Amino acid sequence: MMRRILSLCALLASAVLAQTVPSYQQLTFPPLKQVKIPDPVSFTLKNGMRVLLLEDHELPLINGLALIRTGNLFDPPDKRGLSSVMADVLRSGGTSTKTGDQIDEELENIAASVESNMGETSASITFNGLKETASTVLGIFKSVMTDPEFRQDKIDLTIAQSHSGIDRRNDDPQGIAEREISSILYGRDNSYGWNIEHADLARIQRKDLQDFYHRYYFPANIMLAVYGDFSTPEMKDQLEKLFADWNPTQPPVPAFPPVTAKAAPGVFLAEKSDVTQTFFSLGLLGGTLRDPDYPALEVAVHILGSGFTSRLMSQIRTKMGLAYSIGAGWGASYDHPGTFRIVGSTKSASTAAAIQAARAELVKMRTAEVTDQELKSAKDSVLNGFVFFFDSPAKTLSRVLTYQYFGYPKDFLFEYQKKVAAVTRADVLRVMQQHIDPARLSIVAVGNPKDFGKPLTEIGKVDKIDLSIPPMPAVTMPVK
Amino acid sequence: MKFRALIFVLIPSLLAAQSVVELQKSFEKKVTEFTLANGLHFIVIERHDAPVVSFHTYVNVGSVDDPSGETGLAHMFEHMAFKGTPTIGTKNYPAEKAAMDAVEQVYDRLDAERNKGPRADAAKVAAISNELAAAMEKADNFVEPDEYDRVVESNGGQDMNASTAEDSTNYFYSFPSNRIELWFLLESSRFMNPVFREFYKERDVVREERRMRVESSSQGKLMEMLSATAFAAHPYHNEPGGWASDIEHFRRPAAERFYRQHYVPANITLGIAGDVNPMEARRLAEKYFGRLVSRPVPLQYRTVEPVQEGEKIASVSSPSQPFVILAYKRPDRHSPDSAALAVLDAVLSDGRTGIIYKDMVRDKQMALGAGSAAEFPGGKYPSLFLFYVAPSSGHTSEENQKELDRIIQHVKTTKVDDATLQRVKTKLRASLIRRLNSNSGLASELCSYYVAYGDWRTLFTELDDYNKVTADDVQRVANTYLVKEHRTVAYTYVPEAGPAQEGAK
Repeated sequence: MMRRILSLCALLASAVLAQTVPSYQQLTFPPLKQVKIPDPVSFTLKNGMRVLLLEDHELPLINGLALIRTGNLFDPPDKRGLSSVMADVLRSGGTSTKTGDQIDEELENIAASVESNMGETSASITFNGLKETASTVLGIFKSVMTDPEFRQDKIDLTIAQSHSGIDRRNDDPQGIAEREISSILYGRDNSYGWNIEHADLARIQRKDLQDFYHRYYFPANIMLAVYGDFSTPEMKDQLEKLFADWNPTQPPVPAFPPVTAKAAPGVFLAEKSDVTQTFFSLGLLGGTLRDPDYPALEVAVHILGSGFTSRLMSQIRTKMGLAYSIGAGWGASYDHPGTFRIVGSTKSASTAAAIQAARAELVKMRTAEVTDQELKSAKDSVLNGFVFFFDSPAKTLSRVLTYQYFGYPKDFLFEYQKKVAAVTRADVLRVMQQHIDPARLSIVAVGNPKDFGKPLTEIGKVDKIDLSIPPMPAVTMPVK
Repeated sequence: MKFRALIFVLIPSLLAAQSVVELQKSFEKKVTEFTLANGLHFIVIERHDAPVVSFHTYVNVGSVDDPSGETGLAHMFEHMAFKGTPTIGTKNYPAEKAAMDAVEQVYDRLDAERNKGPRADAAKVAAISNELAAAMEKADNFVEPDEYDRVVESNGGQDMNASTAEDSTNYFYSFPSNRIELWFLLESSRFMNPVFREFYKERDVVREERRMRVESSSQGKLMEMLSATAFAAHPYHNEPGGWASDIEHFRRPAAERFYRQHYVPANITLGIAGDVNPMEARRLAEKYFGRLVSRPVPLQYRTVEPVQEGEKIASVSSPSQPFVILAYKRPDRHSPDSAALAVLDAVLSDGRTGIIYKDMVRDKQMALGAGSAAEFPGGKYPSLFLFYVAPSSGHTSEENQKELDRIIQHVKTTKVDDATLQRVKTKLRASLIRRLNSNSGLASELCSYYVAYGDWRTLFTELDDYNKVTADDVQRVANTYLVKEHRTVAYTYVPEAGPAQEGAK
């Protein structure tokens, strides 16, 4: 009874207040203020290194990012992992005059950092420090980039850590699902799809690191972006002086090896006994950001699986209560076909049901046009959120750098905005039909089949994924 | 050489200290605070560089406030806060409400039958369960699905989400700055008049979340067992998501009671950071949030964890590679020893110069990763100072634990040197500066410091506390708190294959 009185009060209260406060549909918004997009200053150093500078005086910090045109894609097939080991030891192995440990202390004494990383299609060296330590940080950044020593003890450390990492690679079920779908979609003969094994690491020598470094780390192959609390003319001057004595040259770096479609449609199961959920991924090889259909595909896949209001979320999470996490992404890449994926997890017993429900949503997207409201919401979400691409100087600089790196036009984002605004319901249906064929899907499930209610064979013929980790070969180099 | 090193250390840190004072001054100009008559507190931070605004709602309620037998309720309400209001998320609210109440009536009968335990009639349970499913379906027919989320997303809302921790519940997202009023409308409405629609479907979702975060992760299981073992009486005992059987059984009226008790205006702090005019924010706050009715603030949880009488052990059998934790009881964040414990933590494990990294990862190579954390799982109540290690292949958990013990002994018997202490303090200052660089970070940080310490300025002034910490203090707190009798050792281990497993059956 008490509850009834309370809820009656609540109803009355809301009725009264409805008079003073509008509903969200009645709200009108002033036009959004013009966003100020800063223009980075770009120039080329005498040694050929391209530079972008952008001032940002809000906090007394200075940051930098050097992009080097190389990547895991250039790993020799018998020494997979070489580039990553090299990038790690580039920093930890010190320079000709200082050990990596000394550099650690020097940087941390002034709360600064210099880090080196390797990706599939780019390597980076970053730095970050307080304004007043800028010249010290820049000096260390420069010597790490130009004068690495690759000391053997740190090569041993990185390789030992990588061995431990391999031994732990089957501990996280979501990680397994992501790794295996990549292997299936890209094939195992390139770094998008292969696993680094103990035997690869055992073959990597200091000379390999040095050779890899010398081939790719030279001024004409590097783009440097610096942003933060500095004056542009002074920084320009400082960089010119800093890199004046670094002039190695190499032939231009070749294009990255192209991706050849290896996708194998089917159902793949990786067994993991210690989980109560199945982690699944449905995927196929997609496209690049240059594809004319890219904007329509983004809108289409947004409706299917992005945010809290997508069809997948609404059906599988909200209506069926089968998943906490479920979504989809078109996953276009700058320079090679990305992967379209639906990713989710559900309790073991509803494995087949959740995967079937996800596939069914995909099929629906291809059999009938989406509603006007769905299209409008998806487009509004992209267009109204557009300003967030420009809400910090760091984002602006990083975008300019990325477009330059991959050879995209400066105004790519604005063209994209226009094309999104023009997408129609018919476009959505067409691109779904043209690019996302459920018959081509590769489906990976990682879970405990003993607890699957319906067997996975209800979805299709099941191939088992062998998760066993090849042991270290009998004869190897000694590893500490 | 030594002298030179000293200059290197001192000069930058002095400058950095100066810049922190200046930063605080500049924030005094950017920050506006006000409290509504009903007790809601607002912190507005002006940052006009880009036409965007981030919002943060910090509710001073967490899983420690879950009722006994209904753990996970704080988290469950967090999910219900996205389900809408009497006007958002429904096709016909009066009809929906009647249908939702009908669900509860059927559920009352189901619970009554189940409550008979072994004497419950299985056929009756099955029949009522079918009735319940039908009643839920009827209620769901009135739902306008995900309308609340859709309004936020289609207006360009970014990074909308929420989180429930032991000490607090947090709701956050960002809008283009011309849509500030929409946030005031939506946020005030959901906390003034939330409708707990689709409650039982969402309960399944929450149950799935637990399967994902805890049950399917060896580290998730280990952390849950660590808390459950270390805390005997205090609700830090419970994982914030709650126990599986509690989640499977709690009911909508319980969640509504929880909401009414804890979501009172004086328990809520709102942060708004970005391109916002504080006068306008105040006007909109009065208009929209002024509607919330003042209610008494519930008592904070009062059970105090008793002194631990001896070492405790928690183990989790798992085929995953091993992981070890040593966790020591420590006082809450208001303890005068808090700053020294934070400095001790940094000395042990900050960056590549922390003692643990240098010794166990870099030099002895027995660990893939290792470190410490000064405050787990929360700071509002006495908690844990913990050490963690993931052993390298070929190195055992025992050997790693022994080495951690040696390091702990070392910090108890040896004073940290000046250069290290200076470095750690410089880094603590720099990390503050780096935390100020986004709207969402600012809105969140200023709210949580205000709630924890009564003043957002503590974000800056706690650096003074760090600065005052001496090598003696660090050694003293190590000796006071890193005591074997007050620790819990938690680890995963790979079960022996073959016969041992059969024997266990």
